[in-house]
Amino acid sequence: MTKSPLILFAFLPAVFALLLSACGESPENPEGGKKVSALKINGSTTVNLPVAEAAEVMRERTGKEIQVDTQGGSSGGISMLGEGLVHLGMASKSLSDEDRKKFPECDFNEIQIGADAVALIVSKDVWSGGKTTITKKEMAGIYEGNITNWNQIGGPDQRIAFFNKEPGRGTWEVFAKWAYGSAGDTPQASFPEVGGNEETRNKVASTRGALSQLSASWADGKTVFALSVKTEDGKLIKPSGENIATGAYPMSRPLFVLSDGDPSGDAREMINFLLSIEGQKIVRKHGYLALADLSK
Amino acid sequence: MTRSALNPSCRRWSITLILSWLFTGVALAAVVGGLGLLLIESAPAWKHSGFEFVIGKKWFFRQSEFGAAPMIYGSIIVAILAMILAAPVGIGAAIFGVEYLPRKWRLGLKVTVELLAGIPSVVYGLLGILLLRNWIYEVFQDFDPLSGDTLLTAGVLLGLMILPTIMTLADDALRGVPGTLRLAARGLGLTATETALHVSVPQAFPGLLAAVLLALGRAMGETIAVFLVIGRQDNQWPSSILSLKPLLESGQTLTSKLGGSETNIAYGQPLHWGAIMGLGLVLLSLVVIITLTGAWLQRISFRQHQQHS
Amino acid sequence: MKRKLIHHLFRALTGLCALASCAILAGIVASIVMRGWSALNWDFFTQQIALVGASGGIFYNVIGTLILLATAFVVCTPLALGFSIVHSVYLRDSHWRGKLTLLLYLLNGVPSILFGIVGMVIFVQVLGWGKSWLAGGILLGLMILPTVSVTLIERIGSLPIKYTEAAIGLGLRKSQIIRSVILPQSIGGLITGLMLGLARAAGETAPIMFTATIFAGASIPGGIKESPVLSLPYHIFILAQDSYDPAVKAKLWGSALVLIILVLGLSLVALPARLKIHEEANHA
Repeated sequence: MTKSPLILFAFLPAVFALLLSACGESPENPEGGKKVSALKINGSTTVNLPVAEAAEVMRERTGKEIQVDTQGGSSGGISMLGEGLVHLGMASKSLSDEDRKKFPECDFNEIQIGADAVALIVSKDVWSGGKTTITKKEMAGIYEGNITNWNQIGGPDQRIAFFNKEPGRGTWEVFAKWAYGSAGDTPQASFPEVGGNEETRNKVASTRGALSQLSASWADGKTVFALSVKTEDGKLIKPSGENIATGAYPMSRPLFVLSDGDPSGDAREMINFLLSIEGQKIVRKHGYLALADLSK
Repeated sequence: MTRSALNPSCRRWSITLILSWLFTGVALAAVVGGLGLLLIESAPAWKHSGFEFVIGKKWFFRQSEFGAAPMIYGSIIVAILAMILAAPVGIGAAIFGVEYLPRKWRLGLKVTVELLAGIPSVVYGLLGILLLRNWIYEVFQDFDPLSGDTLLTAGVLLGLMILPTIMTLADDALRGVPGTLRLAARGLGLTATETALHVSVPQAFPGLLAAVLLALGRAMGETIAVFLVIGRQDNQWPSSILSLKPLLESGQTLTSKLGGSETNIAYGQPLHWGAIMGLGLVLLSLVVIITLTGAWLQRISFRQHQQHS
Repeated sequence: MKRKLIHHLFRALTGLCALASCAILAGIVASIVMRGWSALNWDFFTQQIALVGASGGIFYNVIGTLILLATAFVVCTPLALGFSIVHSVYLRDSHWRGKLTLLLYLLNGVPSILFGIVGMVIFVQVLGWGKSWLAGGILLGLMILPTVSVTLIERIGSLPIKYTEAAIGLGLRKSQIIRSVILPQSIGGLITGLMLGLARAAGETAPIMFTATIFAGASIPGGIKESPVLSLPYHIFILAQDSYDPAVKAKLWGSALVLIILVLGLSLVALPARLKIHEEANHA
């Protein structure tokens, strides 16, 4: 009785002992030891949807541990792969030279698993107010703050509530590349920011005069509506499957799983599965274009 | 000393003594280490921007412009807003509990309110994103807010979150007023309300102020709930500090920035990461100043009553 | 007459404040129960996430949160004990005592996100753990240290002086008094404080989002390095921002309900005892 409370003091040392023993053993087998560590994947929330579901199937089949996370979006995927923190990255944009330069040690390998597009989506009042198309010039005007009301560009009399995708998101970079050529050339501007796709859809749907960039597959046409892009020669291009496949829609984008050099082991298996008929079905199920749709 | 002389088996160093100090040392080391880390890691940003980091109004990380002023403004405004909303209700509830309710009921009230304190901020955030932001958007329609993501939304949400802190600390302060004073006042024929207003509240005033300040500190540090409803718009420096207009616009707080995507982007890049850690340091300084003031007031209040009783 | 009126008015006004506070709690709980109730069933607790949150359950999220809490418990207990004993016994009459109290106040005020980013530097960057349950547990343990210590200190402070006097009379040394009188008598304070602290830790997202928890694919951690767990708050935080399937919504509210039950359950058990200790210590 008198000594029993002292046991409480033993907790922390016990943890440290455990910690030391664990630290001692882990560096021994970086690859191929008896205890293979989990396959780690991180990156774009857009690519996450099919990959996370594919991981569920793989887990069930092989019993292997596959960890999927979406910290920092595409940029997070690229930088974590670059620093060797994960085995596979996920990115919803092509790698830029800047990305590659940042991690000279890493031999980035882009493996396309599908395709998608960035749609410019608006809320219902804008859509039914007659604004269903947008030009690059109009978009730039909005981004630079020169156009603040939809009626300046043929829409209803309603202020424009532009939600910008937060930095680091593949969606934003694809948008920036279309509008200004590259992320670095984008003018300094500050708007309310949105992160996840559902957050974007939810906020646009519940705000009058709202506009944002969103993965085309999430533009459901019920709560949020995808504008057609009007090219300089007056053509209207919808972010439809066909236009994405042919690349006619200017903000089409490949969906990538990234590896450092040639993937091997579990990473290879995962990629093979994503590229298999079954894996491609999952890609399509989440509203994206499968690779077969692209070659049509 | 004399006892140890009497008892020959007595060692000065006992296991209990060593362990107690050891673990206290570990806790202190963790605190000092954390602080040191914030200082060291944020050094590149201070070197790059100097004091401009705190007063600069522009934050564009791609161009390595780091000015935290709009975020400091956001943090302070949102916390003050929360305080203005929560303080009257919290203090009112505490007064009701202490001055009018029998002990059992008062404890019941306190348990209920402290339960409210336990609700996780992510749940508040969820309710905020689903209900509150739409509500604010509709109710303030006449003022034409651009969306429901506003400083006001964050302030209201935070107000709900710090209500328990205010109530519980105010309750302590009021309870600290010696019962003899109350009895004397009632003996003079004052009503319970008059006693509360003319005796308890003035007596407990430093303590009540401390309650408000400590809650303010808490509000300033809240991340997840604010993150989901404030809009996270950079560079929102108001045209006038006293203007109310920015309340219905989106903004950014120090915490919403720290919890956002830039923390991941900055990781591994010394300057950008330094700026993020610098924001952490600014946030910590603000909270420490507020907390210290609150603790100081609380001590004053405590001393005062010890003299009385 | 006027005085009476003012009296009643003011009482009604403050009563309204009290009522409002209770109503807010009721409203929040009700709105979550209403939305989340339908998601709760046996499978929800025993299955793991499927279809990116749209199907399956939150088994490993609950397990992960429990692992984090257990670790925080283990980390915090000796620290709080050591700190409180040093504070209330060894430094009883020292001017350092007030400084330690102040430090607890300050630590209590440190925003939880700072635990997250500082923890990220220490555990992810310096120690190279990647995301690890242990990092999250340690951070949460440190974060709740003030809550636990304050309760314990108040409990020790309110022990009747005659206990210690009797022990001194028996010729016991300080350390013996601590072991045989103070600790056994104040263990209730420790437990109460821990439960309240853990209730707070259970709902925290900010300290663990960069250091300990991922969205999917973690189960029971097998080591320390690169051993993340799933957790309830992070699950809710991510799904609140990213949920393609409407089916996710029901699961999301279900998760929030489970988290609330966990947190309120812990608090409800501990709060009455906590308040009693607090009253005895401060307003005896």
